[in-house]
Amino acid sequence: MKIDFWGHEFKVNMWVGCLGGFLIAIMSSMFGFGGGPFMVPLMTVALGLPMYIVVGSSLLAIFFNTAMGTMRHMQFGNFDLYLFLAMFPAALLGGYLGPQIAKRVSPLVVKRIACGGLLLLALNLLGVY
Amino acid sequence: MKVKFRVWPFLALAMMALPIVPQALAGEGATPPTVILDKATLANGGEITVSGQAPAGAQVYIEFYSADKKVRANRFDSKKDPKTGIIPYKFYLTQEMPAFYQILVPKELAPELDKAKAEGKDWKYSEVLKTIGADAAYSAPAKIKIDSYQATIMASIIGSRGNLLAPMDDKESRRESMKLVKGRFGSVGKLLAANVETSPDGAYHAKIKVPAGQAPGKYSVIVTAVTERSKEGDLVIVKKVKSEAATFENTVSFPTMYLNSAGTSINLIWPFLLCLGISIFGVLMGAGGGFILNPILVSLFPLPHTIVAGTVMPTVLFSQGSGIFNYSKIKFINWKLGVGIGCAMLVGGFIGPKLTEMITLDQFKFAFGWILMVLAGLMFWQTTPGYLAKNKKEQAILKEFKKRAEECAQKGEEDTTACPTKQK
Repeated sequence: MKIDFWGHEFKVNMWVGCLGGFLIAIMSSMFGFGGGPFMVPLMTVALGLPMYIVVGSSLLAIFFNTAMGTMRHMQFGNFDLYLFLAMFPAALLGGYLGPQIAKRVSPLVVKRIACGGLLLLALNLLGVY
Repeated sequence: MKVKFRVWPFLALAMMALPIVPQALAGEGATPPTVILDKATLANGGEITVSGQAPAGAQVYIEFYSADKKVRANRFDSKKDPKTGIIPYKFYLTQEMPAFYQILVPKELAPELDKAKAEGKDWKYSEVLKTIGADAAYSAPAKIKIDSYQATIMASIIGSRGNLLAPMDDKESRRESMKLVKGRFGSVGKLLAANVETSPDGAYHAKIKVPAGQAPGKYSVIVTAVTERSKEGDLVIVKKVKSEAATFENTVSFPTMYLNSAGTSINLIWPFLLCLGISIFGVLMGAGGGFILNPILVSLFPLPHTIVAGTVMPTVLFSQGSGIFNYSKIKFINWKLGVGIGCAMLVGGFIGPKLTEMITLDQFKFAFGWILMVLAGLMFWQTTPGYLAKNKKEQAILKEFKKRAEECAQKGEEDTTACPTKQK
């Protein structure tokens, strides 16, 4: 499929994109997270698209998954209103404060810390310690 | 015809008498235990001393449970039956599981419980109940209504629970209820405690411990005294007397709230702070917070993984929506690409939530562990020099395009060479 973006034309293999998106969607809706960190590499590496197309379009694709996943979770009775009401304002506030702090810290340092933290959390979940 | 009419009343009388006879026999000589609680209310958990008088020489078991708060519990049976070799693929679901359940057993049985604890996650609730004789006291969850479904691969793909099977008989239902109880509460320590002390004359006392973060409302306490156990072949015949239900009240107050679908209470300040910290960190590292939030929530709090997954997901819906709105204002979204992949993700999002309830909490944590490993790998890859050099260029282009896009959006120009805002 050919897509046109800001005067540039790109060829996209939609089979790879859709299959990857499908699998990521199953995983992320099953475990209840967004899926952005997997979608962005899929679209940049597997589909070979430049970052400036990916940022907006991946968000749009993920939104479909989140909306559908939310509906299905509610249908199965997996939604808790009070817990949601406690976390929802925090997520909004975080989304507002985050970019302000982001200006003052190096993304490289954050990523290194995140990498270590994720590894520790993963090992904990796998029962290593 | 005349003879038949004369027989009827006798037959009816005999049938009415039948259930009364064994009851009279069982109750003979044994008076039900008395139950005295030293407190009537608890504030978000605590200890209550139970004491009373049971028949001399009896073994005393104390069952206590949340009487008016019920939660959902489910189990997916995909274990091969060792006898027939058939995998059942059955899905069991109840809405009536007590939000809290525990049986206290005689102190002398503590070593048996330790043995069960040493078995780790694969311990069998029904077997432990049998060996310590606590199945005599197991009653409240045995009466819950359990639906069973025959799951098929096709049904799972279209996101259905499968065909509803005929209701199970009492015995099957009781056996399945034990598995659901284990799936819901998990560990030996949460379901059983050995602290009932009995003196030879039958006076007993024990401590009921309700941990913090449990359901508020009425709790029932039922004392079962087993007066005699005898074996007839394989069959164990138990003579027991049950007390009337004594009740106490557990209260929780704001900011601790009872979560209806989770079946536990939680101080809402914690998820708020956790979510705030993690979503800020999520913005910094360029990934959503759900990855970190979900495993921490299931590890730190007694929340079922289904509730966590189902509640965290909608929280990001709004920020995603506002992100899309902002990008679309500056025409920075390729709708064809986004909607194309989005349709595939729509299908995936339809299937995923069904799978959440088919796995246990331990499987959830295990799978999440591997997902995080992959994510950590991705994060590491993004800190390698090669990626950084490439990313620097990409980010510069991204910034340039964004600037142009913003300018174009401000000017409101359309379809010029500098601002090709109309996309096909």
